[in-house]
Amino acid sequence: MVTNSSTFYDSDLSRRPLLSEFRNLWEYRDLIALLIRRDITVRYKRSTLGVWWTLLNPLLTTLILWMIFGQFFRFDTGDVPYVVYLLSGILLITYFSQAVIASGSAIVNNSGILTKVYVPPEVFSFSAAGAALVNFMLSLIPLAIIQLVNGVGIPWTVVLVPLPVIAMLALATGIGLLVASAAVFFYDVLDLTGVALQLVSYLTPTFYPISIVPAAFIGIIYANPLFSYLDIFRNFMYGGEFSPAWSFVYMFASSIIALLLGVWVFSKSWRNLIAVL
Amino acid sequence: MSVSAPVELTGVSLAYRLSRSRPATLKEFAIRSLRRQVEYERLWALRDLTLRMNPGEVLGVIGPNGAGKSTLMKIIARVLPPTEGRVVVRGSVAAMIELGAGFNGELTGEENIVLYGTLLGRDADAVEQRIPEIAEWAGLSDFMDVPIRSYSSGMLARLGFAVATDVKPDVLVVDEVLSVGDAEFQHKSRRRIEEMIDAGTSVVLVSHDLDLVEDVADRVMLLENGRNKGIGPPGEIVQAYRDSHT
Repeated sequence: MVTNSSTFYDSDLSRRPLLSEFRNLWEYRDLIALLIRRDITVRYKRSTLGVWWTLLNPLLTTLILWMIFGQFFRFDTGDVPYVVYLLSGILLITYFSQAVIASGSAIVNNSGILTKVYVPPEVFSFSAAGAALVNFMLSLIPLAIIQLVNGVGIPWTVVLVPLPVIAMLALATGIGLLVASAAVFFYDVLDLTGVALQLVSYLTPTFYPISIVPAAFIGIIYANPLFSYLDIFRNFMYGGEFSPAWSFVYMFASSIIALLLGVWVFSKSWRNLIAVL
Repeated sequence: MSVSAPVELTGVSLAYRLSRSRPATLKEFAIRSLRRQVEYERLWALRDLTLRMNPGEVLGVIGPNGAGKSTLMKIIARVLPPTEGRVVVRGSVAAMIELGAGFNGELTGEENIVLYGTLLGRDADAVEQRIPEIAEWAGLSDFMDVPIRSYSSGMLARLGFAVATDVKPDVLVVDEVLSVGDAEFQHKSRRRIEEMIDAGTSVVLVSHDLDLVEDVADRVMLLENGRNKGIGPPGEIVQAYRDSHT
Protein backbone atom coordinates (compact mmCIF):
# COMPACT_ATOMS: atom_id res chain seq x y z
CA MET A 1 0.00 0.00 0.00
CA VAL A 2 1.69 3.14 -1.17
CA THR A 3 0.18 5.97 0.76
CA ASN A 4 1.40 8.66 3.05
CA SER A 5 -2.01 9.60 4.38
CA SER A 6 -2.89 8.27 7.77
CA THR A 7 -4.62 4.95 7.47
CA PHE A 8 -6.63 5.29 10.61
CA TYR A 9 -9.35 7.87 10.90
CA ASP A 10 -11.31 8.62 14.03
CA SER A 11 -13.49 11.71 13.82
CA ASP A 12 -13.24 12.14 17.59
CA LEU A 13 -9.50 12.66 17.29
CA SER A 14 -9.81 15.33 14.64
CA ARG A 15 -10.02 18.14 17.14
CA ARG A 16 -6.29 17.84 17.01
CA PRO A 17 -3.84 19.87 18.98
CA LEU A 18 -1.77 22.41 17.12
CA LEU A 19 1.34 20.29 16.86
CA SER A 20 -0.29 17.51 14.89
CA GLU A 21 -1.69 20.14 12.57
CA PHE A 22 1.85 20.95 11.53
CA ARG A 23 2.86 17.31 11.36
CA ASN A 24 -0.05 16.82 9.01
CA LEU A 25 1.30 19.57 6.78
CA TRP A 26 4.73 17.98 6.78
CA GLU A 27 3.21 14.69 5.62
CA TYR A 28 1.65 16.50 2.71
CA ARG A 29 4.83 18.36 1.65
CA ASP A 30 4.89 16.51 -1.69
CA LEU A 31 1.46 17.80 -2.45
CA ILE A 32 2.33 21.34 -1.39
CA ALA A 33 5.32 21.30 -3.75
CA LEU A 34 3.16 19.97 -6.58
CA LEU A 35 0.46 22.57 -6.00
CA ILE A 36 3.04 25.35 -6.09
CA ARG A 37 4.34 23.95 -9.34
CA ARG A 38 0.79 23.71 -10.67
CA ASP A 39 0.05 27.34 -9.81
CA ILE A 40 3.20 28.54 -11.49
CA THR A 41 3.09 26.37 -14.62
CA VAL A 42 -0.58 27.16 -15.19
CA ARG A 43 0.04 30.87 -14.84
CA TYR A 44 2.99 30.87 -17.24
CA LYS A 45 1.66 28.40 -19.76
CA ARG A 46 -1.24 30.64 -20.56
CA SER A 47 0.75 33.65 -21.71
CA THR A 48 3.54 34.16 -24.21
CA LEU A 49 5.26 36.65 -21.97
CA GLY A 50 5.42 33.91 -19.35
CA VAL A 51 7.46 34.71 -16.29
CA TRP A 52 7.73 38.34 -17.30
CA TRP A 53 4.10 39.00 -16.50
CA THR A 54 4.73 38.57 -12.80
CA LEU A 55 7.64 40.96 -12.94
CA LEU A 56 5.92 43.46 -15.17
CA ASN A 57 3.44 44.64 -12.57
CA PRO A 58 5.88 45.64 -9.80
CA LEU A 59 8.35 46.98 -12.36
CA LEU A 60 5.73 49.24 -13.95
CA THR A 61 4.55 50.42 -10.53
CA THR A 62 8.13 51.18 -9.68
CA LEU A 63 8.64 53.06 -12.93
CA ILE A 64 5.61 55.27 -12.29
CA LEU A 65 6.44 55.93 -8.65
CA TRP A 66 10.06 56.56 -9.57
CA MET A 67 8.95 59.22 -12.07
CA ILE A 68 6.59 60.90 -9.62
CA PHE A 69 8.55 60.72 -6.39
CA GLY A 70 12.07 60.30 -7.71
CA GLN A 71 11.97 62.90 -10.47
CA PHE A 72 9.20 65.36 -9.53
CA PHE A 73 9.22 65.33 -5.72
CA ARG A 74 12.86 64.28 -5.53
CA PHE A 75 12.59 62.17 -2.42
CA ASP A 76 15.92 61.89 -0.71
CA THR A 77 16.86 58.38 0.40
CA GLY A 78 20.39 59.19 1.49
CA ASP A 79 23.18 56.88 0.36
CA VAL A 80 21.00 54.54 -1.62
CA PRO A 81 19.58 55.49 -5.04
CA TYR A 82 15.84 56.11 -4.86
CA VAL A 83 15.05 53.44 -7.45
CA VAL A 84 16.67 50.70 -5.32
CA TYR A 85 14.88 51.91 -2.19
CA LEU A 86 11.59 52.05 -4.08
CA LEU A 87 11.79 48.74 -5.93
CA SER A 88 12.84 46.79 -2.83
CA GLY A 89 9.86 48.23 -0.94
CA ILE A 90 7.34 47.63 -3.73
CA LEU A 91 8.54 44.05 -4.26
CA LEU A 92 8.29 43.07 -0.62
CA ILE A 93 4.87 44.62 -0.13
CA THR A 94 3.58 43.10 -3.36
CA TYR A 95 4.79 39.73 -2.16
CA PHE A 96 3.03 40.19 1.16
CA SER A 97 -0.26 41.26 -0.42
CA GLN A 98 -0.18 38.48 -2.99
CA ALA A 99 0.57 35.87 -0.36
CA VAL A 100 -2.25 37.02 1.93
CA ILE A 101 -4.82 37.22 -0.87
CA ALA A 102 -3.70 33.92 -2.44
CA SER A 103 -3.74 31.94 0.79
CA GLY A 104 -6.95 33.66 1.88
CA SER A 105 -8.80 32.69 -1.28
CA ALA A 106 -7.21 29.26 -1.64
CA ILE A 107 -9.88 27.45 0.37
CA VAL A 108 -12.78 28.86 -1.62
CA ASN A 109 -10.88 28.40 -4.89
CA ASN A 110 -10.23 24.76 -4.16
CA SER A 111 -13.63 23.92 -2.70
CA GLY A 112 -14.20 21.64 -5.69
CA ILE A 113 -11.38 19.42 -4.44
CA LEU A 114 -12.01 19.84 -0.73
CA THR A 115 -15.60 18.64 -1.00
CA LYS A 116 -14.56 15.47 -2.79
CA VAL A 117 -11.17 14.35 -1.56
CA TYR A 118 -9.76 14.41 1.95
CA VAL A 119 -6.79 16.76 2.03
CA PRO A 120 -5.85 18.88 5.05
CA PRO A 121 -7.30 22.17 3.77
CA GLU A 122 -4.41 24.29 5.07
CA VAL A 123 -2.31 22.62 2.39
CA PHE A 124 -3.97 24.87 -0.19
CA SER A 125 -3.32 28.03 1.78
CA PHE A 126 0.33 27.14 2.30
CA SER A 127 0.90 26.24 -1.32
CA ALA A 128 -0.79 29.42 -2.57
CA ALA A 129 1.48 31.50 -0.34
CA GLY A 130 4.40 29.36 -1.52
CA ALA A 131 3.65 30.26 -5.13
CA ALA A 132 3.75 33.95 -4.16
CA LEU A 133 7.14 33.26 -2.56
CA VAL A 134 8.49 31.77 -5.79
CA ASN A 135 7.28 34.81 -7.74
CA PHE A 136 8.96 37.07 -5.24
CA MET A 137 12.26 35.22 -5.51
CA LEU A 138 12.13 35.68 -9.29
CA SER A 139 11.45 39.37 -8.85
CA LEU A 140 14.66 39.75 -6.85
CA ILE A 141 16.60 39.19 -10.06
CA PRO A 142 15.75 42.58 -11.62
CA LEU A 143 16.38 44.23 -8.23
CA ALA A 144 19.82 42.65 -8.04
CA ILE A 145 20.58 43.75 -11.59
CA ILE A 146 19.54 47.34 -10.82
CA GLN A 147 21.71 47.29 -7.69
CA LEU A 148 24.71 46.17 -9.74
CA VAL A 149 24.07 48.70 -12.50
CA ASN A 150 23.60 51.49 -9.99
CA GLY A 151 26.85 50.76 -8.25
CA VAL A 152 25.10 49.80 -4.98
CA GLY A 153 26.37 46.28 -5.38
CA ILE A 154 25.26 43.22 -3.50
CA PRO A 155 26.64 42.85 0.04
CA TRP A 156 27.36 39.50 1.69
CA THR A 157 24.30 39.93 3.92
CA VAL A 158 22.21 38.96 0.89
CA VAL A 159 22.55 35.36 2.06
CA LEU A 160 20.42 36.33 5.08
CA VAL A 161 17.57 37.67 2.93
CA PRO A 162 15.67 34.36 3.36
CA LEU A 163 15.16 35.26 7.07
CA PRO A 164 12.73 38.16 6.55
CA VAL A 165 11.31 36.44 3.46
CA ILE A 166 10.44 33.23 5.30
CA ALA A 167 9.17 35.15 8.33
CA MET A 168 6.93 37.08 5.98
CA LEU A 169 5.66 33.83 4.47
CA ALA A 170 4.59 32.71 7.94
CA LEU A 171 2.97 36.06 8.69
CA ALA A 172 1.10 36.17 5.37
CA THR A 173 -0.07 32.57 5.60
CA GLY A 174 -1.27 33.06 9.16
CA ILE A 175 -3.25 36.13 8.18
CA GLY A 176 -4.37 34.34 5.02
CA LEU A 177 -5.80 31.47 7.09
CA LEU A 178 -7.73 33.95 9.24
CA VAL A 179 -9.07 35.54 6.06
CA ALA A 180 -9.88 32.11 4.63
CA SER A 181 -11.86 31.17 7.74
CA ALA A 182 -14.04 34.24 7.26
CA ALA A 183 -14.09 34.23 3.45
CA VAL A 184 -15.97 30.94 3.31
CA PHE A 185 -18.85 32.59 5.13
CA PHE A 186 -18.74 36.07 3.67
CA TYR A 187 -17.40 36.54 0.20
CA ASP A 188 -16.80 40.26 0.65
CA VAL A 189 -14.07 39.54 3.20
CA LEU A 190 -11.58 39.18 0.36
CA ASP A 191 -12.46 42.63 -0.96
CA LEU A 192 -12.12 44.10 2.51
CA THR A 193 -8.77 42.38 2.84
CA GLY A 194 -7.63 44.03 -0.36
CA VAL A 195 -8.53 47.44 1.04
CA ALA A 196 -6.85 46.69 4.36
CA LEU A 197 -3.70 45.54 2.57
CA GLN A 198 -3.57 48.76 0.61
CA LEU A 199 -3.91 50.76 3.79
CA VAL A 200 -1.14 48.79 5.50
CA SER A 201 1.12 49.19 2.49
CA TYR A 202 0.75 52.99 2.70
CA LEU A 203 1.69 52.78 6.36
CA THR A 204 4.88 51.03 5.33
CA PRO A 205 7.68 53.22 3.96
CA THR A 206 7.87 51.63 0.53
CA PHE A 207 8.06 54.73 -1.70
CA TYR A 208 8.68 57.49 0.86
CA PRO A 209 11.77 57.84 3.02
CA ILE A 210 11.11 57.49 6.73
CA SER A 211 12.80 60.89 7.21
CA ILE A 212 9.79 62.75 5.78
CA VAL A 213 7.35 61.25 8.30
CA PRO A 214 6.36 63.90 10.89
CA ALA A 215 7.46 63.03 14.43
CA ALA A 216 3.85 62.80 15.57
CA PHE A 217 3.16 59.89 13.21
CA ILE A 218 6.45 58.04 13.35
CA GLY A 219 5.05 55.82 16.12
CA ILE A 220 2.43 54.45 13.72
CA ILE A 221 5.11 53.49 11.21
CA TYR A 222 7.18 51.72 13.83
CA ALA A 223 4.10 49.97 15.24
CA ASN A 224 3.33 48.48 11.83
CA PRO A 225 5.01 45.08 11.93
CA LEU A 226 5.65 45.22 8.20
CA PHE A 227 8.14 47.99 8.81
CA SER A 228 10.45 45.62 10.67
CA TYR A 229 10.33 43.09 7.81
CA LEU A 230 11.03 45.76 5.22
CA ASP A 231 13.82 47.36 7.20
CA ILE A 232 15.56 44.04 7.78
CA PHE A 233 15.06 43.01 4.18
CA ARG A 234 16.50 46.26 2.81
CA ASN A 235 19.49 46.16 5.11
CA PHE A 236 20.28 42.59 4.09
CA MET A 237 19.58 43.15 0.41
CA TYR A 238 21.59 46.30 -0.21
CA GLY A 239 22.55 47.98 3.07
CA GLY A 240 24.96 45.29 4.16
CA GLU A 241 24.10 45.78 7.81
CA PHE A 242 21.86 44.51 10.59
CA SER A 243 18.70 46.26 11.69
CA PRO A 244 18.33 46.94 15.44
CA ALA A 245 17.60 43.89 17.58
CA TRP A 246 14.06 45.01 18.40
CA SER A 247 13.22 44.81 14.69
CA PHE A 248 14.19 41.16 14.66
CA VAL A 249 12.22 40.46 17.81
CA TYR A 250 9.19 42.20 16.40
CA MET A 251 9.50 40.41 13.08
CA PHE A 252 9.88 36.89 14.43
CA ALA A 253 7.30 37.36 17.18
CA SER A 254 4.68 38.71 14.79
CA SER A 255 5.27 35.98 12.23
CA ILE A 256 5.10 33.15 14.76
CA ILE A 257 2.02 34.55 16.49
CA ALA A 258 0.22 35.14 13.19
CA LEU A 259 1.01 31.65 11.96
CA LEU A 260 -0.03 29.87 15.15
CA LEU A 261 -3.18 31.96 15.48
CA GLY A 262 -4.11 31.41 11.84
CA VAL A 263 -3.62 27.65 11.97
CA TRP A 264 -5.47 27.40 15.29
CA VAL A 265 -8.48 29.51 14.29
CA PHE A 266 -8.68 27.74 10.96
CA SER A 267 -8.59 24.26 12.45
CA LYS A 268 -11.25 25.27 14.97
CA SER A 269 -13.59 26.61 12.32
CA TRP A 270 -13.02 23.94 9.70
CA ARG A 271 -15.93 21.81 10.91
CA ASN A 272 -18.28 24.72 10.21
CA LEU A 273 -16.52 25.76 7.04
CA ILE A 274 -16.81 22.47 5.19
CA ALA A 275 -20.55 22.29 5.90
CA VAL A 276 -21.13 25.45 3.85
CA LEU A 277 -18.55 25.06 1.07
CA MET B 1 -15.75 -10.50 17.00
CA SER B 2 -12.10 -11.09 16.29
CA VAL B 3 -11.47 -8.64 13.45
CA SER B 4 -12.36 -5.00 13.91
CA ALA B 5 -14.75 -3.28 11.55
CA PRO B 6 -13.15 -1.34 8.70
CA VAL B 7 -15.87 1.28 8.91
CA GLU B 8 -17.74 2.09 12.06
CA LEU B 9 -20.32 4.85 12.42
CA THR B 10 -21.84 5.51 15.81
CA GLY B 11 -24.85 7.80 16.06
CA VAL B 12 -23.64 9.92 13.17
CA SER B 13 -25.62 13.00 12.21
CA LEU B 14 -24.63 15.64 9.73
CA ALA B 15 -26.11 19.09 9.29
CA TYR B 16 -25.44 21.45 6.42
CA ARG B 17 -25.94 25.14 6.94
CA LEU B 18 -28.26 26.40 4.30
CA SER B 19 -27.00 29.30 2.27
CA ARG B 20 -30.56 30.57 1.78
CA SER B 21 -30.76 31.93 5.30
CA ARG B 22 -27.07 32.61 5.63
CA PRO B 23 -25.93 36.18 5.16
CA ALA B 24 -23.64 36.10 2.16
CA THR B 25 -21.56 39.16 2.90
CA LEU B 26 -20.02 40.58 5.99
CA LYS B 27 -21.90 43.80 5.39
CA GLU B 28 -25.19 41.94 5.35
CA PHE B 29 -24.16 40.01 8.44
CA ALA B 30 -23.34 43.23 10.28
CA ILE B 31 -26.69 44.76 9.38
CA ARG B 32 -28.61 41.65 10.31
CA SER B 33 -26.83 41.16 13.60
CA LEU B 34 -27.61 44.74 14.54
CA ARG B 35 -31.24 43.91 13.89
CA ARG B 36 -30.77 40.58 15.65
CA GLN B 37 -31.80 38.63 12.60
CA VAL B 38 -28.90 36.23 12.29
CA GLU B 39 -30.13 32.71 12.24
CA TYR B 40 -28.82 29.61 10.65
CA GLU B 41 -31.12 27.14 9.06
CA ARG B 42 -29.78 23.64 9.35
CA LEU B 43 -30.47 20.85 6.97
CA TRP B 44 -29.94 17.45 8.49
CA ALA B 45 -28.61 15.19 5.78
CA LEU B 46 -27.91 12.26 8.10
CA ARG B 47 -29.63 11.44 11.36
CA ASP B 48 -28.34 9.13 14.05
CA LEU B 49 -26.75 6.63 11.70
CA THR B 50 -25.04 3.62 13.20
CA LEU B 51 -23.25 1.17 10.98
CA ARG B 52 -20.61 -1.50 11.37
CA MET B 53 -19.06 -2.96 8.27
CA ASN B 54 -17.56 -6.39 8.25
CA PRO B 55 -14.08 -6.81 6.78
CA GLY B 56 -14.20 -7.58 3.07
CA GLU B 57 -17.90 -6.94 2.88
CA VAL B 58 -19.65 -5.24 -0.03
CA LEU B 59 -22.29 -2.96 1.40
CA GLY B 60 -24.88 -1.61 -0.99
CA VAL B 61 -26.53 1.69 -0.13
CA ILE B 62 -29.80 2.53 -1.83
CA GLY B 63 -32.41 5.19 -1.38
CA PRO B 64 -34.21 7.99 -3.20
CA ASN B 65 -32.51 11.22 -4.26
CA GLY B 66 -31.72 13.39 -1.28
CA ALA B 67 -31.66 10.46 1.13
CA GLY B 68 -28.13 11.29 2.22
CA LYS B 69 -26.22 8.75 0.15
CA SER B 70 -23.60 11.20 -1.12
CA THR B 71 -23.24 12.70 2.34
CA LEU B 72 -22.63 9.22 3.73
CA MET B 73 -19.88 8.68 1.17
CA LYS B 74 -18.23 11.94 2.14
CA ILE B 75 -18.46 11.12 5.84
CA ILE B 76 -16.67 7.82 5.28
CA ALA B 77 -14.17 9.50 2.94
CA ARG B 78 -13.32 11.93 5.76
CA VAL B 79 -14.30 14.88 3.60
CA LEU B 80 -17.09 15.88 5.96
CA PRO B 81 -16.60 15.67 9.72
CA PRO B 82 -19.78 14.48 11.45
CA THR B 83 -21.83 17.13 13.25
CA GLU B 84 -22.66 14.57 15.92
CA GLY B 85 -21.49 11.05 16.57
CA ARG B 86 -18.29 9.29 15.70
CA VAL B 87 -16.72 7.88 12.56
CA VAL B 88 -13.87 5.40 12.63
CA VAL B 89 -12.25 4.09 9.46
CA ARG B 90 -9.47 1.53 9.80
CA GLY B 91 -7.20 1.39 6.80
CA SER B 92 -6.79 3.41 3.66
CA VAL B 93 -9.87 4.75 1.93
CA ALA B 94 -10.40 5.44 -1.74
CA ALA B 95 -13.54 7.39 -2.34
CA MET B 96 -14.57 7.71 -5.91
CA ILE B 97 -16.70 10.77 -5.60
CA GLU B 98 -16.72 12.66 -8.88
CA LEU B 99 -13.45 11.31 -10.19
CA GLY B 100 -10.86 13.74 -11.33
CA ALA B 101 -11.49 16.48 -8.77
CA GLY B 102 -8.31 18.49 -9.02
CA PHE B 103 -7.62 17.78 -12.66
CA ASN B 104 -6.27 20.87 -14.31
CA GLY B 105 -6.92 21.44 -18.01
CA GLU B 106 -3.68 23.30 -18.57
CA LEU B 107 -1.51 20.48 -17.29
CA THR B 108 -0.61 17.41 -19.31
CA GLY B 109 -1.95 13.92 -18.73
CA GLU B 110 1.25 12.93 -16.91
CA GLU B 111 1.25 15.99 -14.68
CA ASN B 112 -2.39 15.40 -13.82
CA ILE B 113 -1.76 11.78 -12.91
CA VAL B 114 0.90 12.83 -10.43
CA LEU B 115 -1.14 15.71 -9.03
CA TYR B 116 -4.33 13.68 -8.65
CA GLY B 117 -2.54 10.66 -7.21
CA THR B 118 -0.82 12.89 -4.66
CA LEU B 119 -4.11 14.57 -3.79
CA LEU B 120 -5.42 11.10 -3.04
CA GLY B 121 -2.66 10.78 -0.46
CA ARG B 122 0.07 8.88 -2.26
CA ASP B 123 3.76 9.67 -2.56
CA ALA B 124 4.49 11.79 -5.62
CA ASP B 125 7.48 9.62 -6.54
CA ALA B 126 5.46 6.45 -6.27
CA VAL B 127 2.76 7.86 -8.52
CA GLU B 128 5.33 9.06 -11.01
CA GLN B 129 6.70 5.56 -11.38
CA ARG B 130 3.22 4.25 -12.09
CA ILE B 131 2.49 6.66 -14.95
CA PRO B 132 3.05 4.12 -17.76
CA GLU B 133 0.77 1.51 -16.18
CA ILE B 134 -1.93 4.05 -15.35
CA ALA B 135 -1.83 5.53 -18.84
CA GLU B 136 -1.95 2.13 -20.43
CA TRP B 137 -4.85 0.94 -18.35
CA ALA B 138 -6.79 4.07 -19.26
CA GLY B 139 -5.86 3.56 -22.93
CA LEU B 140 -4.27 7.00 -23.02
CA SER B 141 -0.59 6.21 -23.47
CA ASP B 142 -0.42 8.31 -26.64
CA PHE B 143 -1.89 11.38 -24.98
CA MET B 144 0.29 11.75 -21.92
CA ASP B 145 2.13 14.90 -23.00
CA VAL B 146 -1.03 16.72 -24.11
CA PRO B 147 -2.84 19.20 -21.85
CA ILE B 148 -5.99 17.45 -20.75
CA ARG B 149 -8.25 20.31 -21.78
CA SER B 150 -8.20 18.59 -25.18
CA TYR B 151 -9.39 15.27 -23.70
CA SER B 152 -12.95 14.13 -24.23
CA SER B 153 -15.15 13.58 -21.18
CA GLY B 154 -14.78 9.84 -21.65
CA MET B 155 -11.00 10.13 -21.65
CA LEU B 156 -11.11 12.22 -18.48
CA ALA B 157 -13.32 9.67 -16.77
CA ARG B 158 -10.98 6.85 -17.75
CA LEU B 159 -7.94 8.74 -16.51
CA GLY B 160 -9.66 9.56 -13.21
CA PHE B 161 -10.73 5.98 -12.66
CA ALA B 162 -7.31 4.63 -13.59
CA VAL B 163 -5.53 6.86 -11.08
CA ALA B 164 -8.07 6.35 -8.30
CA THR B 165 -7.94 2.57 -8.57
CA ASP B 166 -4.24 2.21 -9.21
CA VAL B 167 -3.61 1.35 -5.59
CA LYS B 168 -5.70 -1.20 -3.75
CA PRO B 169 -7.40 0.53 -0.81
CA ASP B 170 -8.69 -1.17 2.33
CA VAL B 171 -12.02 0.58 1.95
CA LEU B 172 -13.48 1.60 -1.37
CA VAL B 173 -16.41 3.96 -1.64
CA VAL B 174 -18.00 4.07 -5.09
CA ASP B 175 -21.09 5.50 -6.65
CA GLU B 176 -22.35 5.77 -10.21
CA VAL B 177 -18.80 6.24 -11.49
CA LEU B 178 -19.10 2.64 -12.56
CA SER B 179 -21.41 3.76 -15.32
CA VAL B 180 -18.92 6.02 -17.10
CA GLY B 181 -17.44 5.28 -20.48
CA ASP B 182 -18.37 2.75 -23.12
CA ALA B 183 -19.41 -0.84 -22.53
CA GLU B 184 -15.85 -2.09 -22.80
CA PHE B 185 -14.53 0.35 -20.24
CA GLN B 186 -17.45 -0.33 -17.90
CA HIS B 187 -16.65 -3.99 -18.07
CA LYS B 188 -12.98 -3.34 -17.44
CA SER B 189 -13.59 -1.07 -14.47
CA ARG B 190 -16.09 -3.45 -12.95
CA ARG B 191 -13.55 -6.23 -13.23
CA ARG B 192 -10.96 -4.10 -11.50
CA ILE B 193 -13.29 -3.51 -8.58
CA GLU B 194 -14.10 -7.21 -8.42
CA GLU B 195 -10.37 -7.92 -8.19
CA MET B 196 -10.15 -5.55 -5.25
CA ILE B 197 -13.05 -7.25 -3.53
CA ASP B 198 -11.38 -10.62 -4.05
CA ALA B 199 -8.23 -9.18 -2.52
CA GLY B 200 -10.11 -8.21 0.64
CA THR B 201 -11.17 -4.61 0.07
CA SER B 202 -14.38 -3.62 1.81
CA VAL B 203 -16.71 -1.73 -0.49
CA VAL B 204 -19.47 0.77 0.05
CA LEU B 205 -21.44 0.78 -3.18
CA VAL B 206 -23.89 3.61 -3.56
CA SER B 207 -26.19 3.17 -6.51
CA HIS B 208 -29.59 3.66 -8.04
CA ASP B 209 -29.05 0.52 -10.07
CA LEU B 210 -30.99 -1.89 -7.86
CA ASP B 211 -30.15 -4.92 -9.99
CA LEU B 212 -26.45 -4.19 -9.70
CA VAL B 213 -26.69 -3.73 -5.94
CA GLU B 214 -28.71 -6.90 -5.48
CA ASP B 215 -26.21 -8.74 -7.62
CA VAL B 216 -22.96 -7.51 -6.04
CA ALA B 217 -23.67 -6.60 -2.42
CA ASP B 218 -23.41 -8.84 0.63
CA ARG B 219 -25.69 -6.54 2.61
CA VAL B 220 -27.81 -3.57 1.66
CA MET B 221 -28.79 -0.50 3.64
CA LEU B 222 -31.80 1.58 2.73
CA LEU B 223 -31.39 5.27 3.45
CA GLU B 224 -34.34 7.62 3.57
CA ASN B 225 -34.32 11.18 4.84
CA GLY B 226 -30.89 10.58 6.28
CA ARG B 227 -32.03 7.65 8.40
CA ASN B 228 -31.30 3.97 8.21
CA LYS B 229 -34.59 2.39 7.14
CA GLY B 230 -33.29 -1.12 7.24
CA ILE B 231 -30.14 -3.09 6.67
CA GLY B 232 -29.92 -6.74 5.73
CA PRO B 233 -29.78 -9.28 2.92
CA PRO B 234 -29.84 -7.62 -0.54
CA GLY B 235 -32.93 -9.39 -1.84
CA GLU B 236 -35.02 -8.44 1.15
CA ILE B 237 -34.06 -4.75 1.36
CA VAL B 238 -34.16 -4.14 -2.39
CA GLN B 239 -37.59 -5.76 -2.55
CA ALA B 240 -38.84 -3.63 0.35
CA TYR B 241 -37.56 -0.50 -1.41
CA ARG B 242 -39.16 -1.52 -4.71
CA ASP B 243 -42.49 -2.16 -2.96
CA SER B 244 -42.54 1.17 -1.19
CA HIS B 245 -41.60 3.16 -4.29
CA THR B 246 -43.86 1.81 -7.00
